[in-house]
Amino acid sequence: MEYTKQEFMAIATGREIRDNELIILGVGLSMLAGYFAKRNHAPNLRAFTEGGVYGATPVGGLPWGIECNRISSNAVSFTNAIDALGFLVSSGRTDNGVIGAAQVDKYGNVNTTGIWDEPPWKLGRYVPPRIRLNGSGGANDIAVGCKRYLIMASHESRRFMERVDYVSSPGYLDGGDARKKAGFVGGGPSAIISTLGILRPNPETKEFFLDAYFPFTSVEEIKDSTGWHLKVSPDVKQVPEPSERELKNLREVDATGSLRKSG
Amino acid sequence: MNNKLISIQEAVAAYTWDGMTYCNGAALPVGSDSIIFGFEMARQNRKDLNVICHCGSQQINLLGAVGAVKRIEVGFSGLEVYGFAAGLNRAVAAGKTRIEDYSNGAMAIRLFGGAMNWPFVPATVNIHNDQQKCSCDFPDEYPCSKKIPLITDPFTGKKYGAFRTIQPDVAAIHVTMADIHGNAIMLGTEWNRFEMSRASKKVVLVADRIVDTDCMRQYPNLTRIISEVVDAVVYWPFASYPQASCGLYDSDEEMMFGMNKMMKTDEDTETFCKKWINGWNTREEYQELIGREKIEKISDTATAFLLDPYRKWIKDDAEIAELEKRAKE
Repeated sequence: MEYTKQEFMAIATGREIRDNELIILGVGLSMLAGYFAKRNHAPNLRAFTEGGVYGATPVGGLPWGIECNRISSNAVSFTNAIDALGFLVSSGRTDNGVIGAAQVDKYGNVNTTGIWDEPPWKLGRYVPPRIRLNGSGGANDIAVGCKRYLIMASHESRRFMERVDYVSSPGYLDGGDARKKAGFVGGGPSAIISTLGILRPNPETKEFFLDAYFPFTSVEEIKDSTGWHLKVSPDVKQVPEPSERELKNLREVDATGSLRKSG
Repeated sequence: MNNKLISIQEAVAAYTWDGMTYCNGAALPVGSDSIIFGFEMARQNRKDLNVICHCGSQQINLLGAVGAVKRIEVGFSGLEVYGFAAGLNRAVAAGKTRIEDYSNGAMAIRLFGGAMNWPFVPATVNIHNDQQKCSCDFPDEYPCSKKIPLITDPFTGKKYGAFRTIQPDVAAIHVTMADIHGNAIMLGTEWNRFEMSRASKKVVLVADRIVDTDCMRQYPNLTRIISEVVDAVVYWPFASYPQASCGLYDSDEEMMFGMNKMMKTDEDTETFCKKWINGWNTREEYQELIGREKIEKISDTATAFLLDPYRKWIKDDAEIAELEKRAKE
């Protein structure tokens, strides 16, 4: 069956989303994974965006943003950032969230702020990044407040790093009980879904290990594409191929084919 | 109540100045923002701005590209699926614009705290990571202890981050519809406009439509911005262009990508400004620039039905011109 890596990543992420969850979806891939899940196997998923667009589904293809008219023509409620990121997320009420990462480290800390030649933590002072990205947006609030959340990232060694340049959205910080000590409301990332496979946190150390790989890759390729010494589950398995039904449901959400263009 | 209608040129001349703390709303990257106000600020050559920008938008992308932004506090600086904000990022990389990062949730509660006239707001977001540890205002201190200091909850002993609240000098807020007094209804996500309208010292509304106050009397629950907090009202159809305005028009995909591409260099930015900043004087001329065909295309939005309940109160251009004339008397 023909599909792109991005489509597989969206479907694999969607499979991590359960029916009846309250979920906050960010822009792009995150929204596609979420609304794919709703269409495919989670009809009672209650989804909202950080702008407080609640109860809507995309019309006309991938929304250009969390506030795009493509996600605003069948909403049940429009509120605001305080409601969505504060009352619903920071309060601890939201079950799940999906965020993207330009860089992610072995404890699931995410960088979406910038790329440095020598990052502030190494330099001991703050200097502007060589390449400015977007900042955390609502991802930091999602990472701190949701009961659990999912991270999506392109799997390359320059992105899967021992330590990210800048922690925009916290995972398990330095691992172990560091997150618990920080006093965050939510539980932390439950999986990293990449373009090559699925990583999950060790329950004790919180270090992410390889749990499953996509059919078109191998454990070795994934280890080579990871910037830290990636541990592999003794039960590592292949992720099942997308079914015809899953692809059909994803492509109905991704009506403009954004994931097919990106290869 | 006063008739607060004012032209875009007068609004920028009267309510903005070099070095001010300027807040744009809704500051959404694809949807609502007071884009035309930022365009006019560029024309009037405002500089050294301290910008409070919940999210990036094409307005701040442009003001960054022309070198008008000295410092910015932001939750998200990009244009979502339309990409990174090339003009703003260029200014940041060149060291012309200092950027202070927070999360979107933090920006919202900081405006809420400003509206309450509180000095700070406690929260558990942004702490123990680099939004707290890095500061453009205190670059030599890493981890920074001054940007989001930890405080102790006097009741439980638990630690929280203390966030400095925000009270901008002026906010230019885009709304779907307003009456001439400054009462406004917004369609789509409100984002932070409710808090922003109460936190800012002065507020200018930039409205796509002017309606009779009877509209607000029919839907008082939806009048989230009231005349009490508003100083001036600018009527400007397609005020958020090339971004979207829920219920009225979609984002112009071609222009969103094209404009961002032009923000990549000084030369192209100058070319852009010749047309879009200096190439019009009136609403009619601005709409001619957008073009009839494009206006028809973006106005064919799946959200148009959201405007239906309000249509009977919308004033036409001739009525508004008369009201603008009277506002000057």
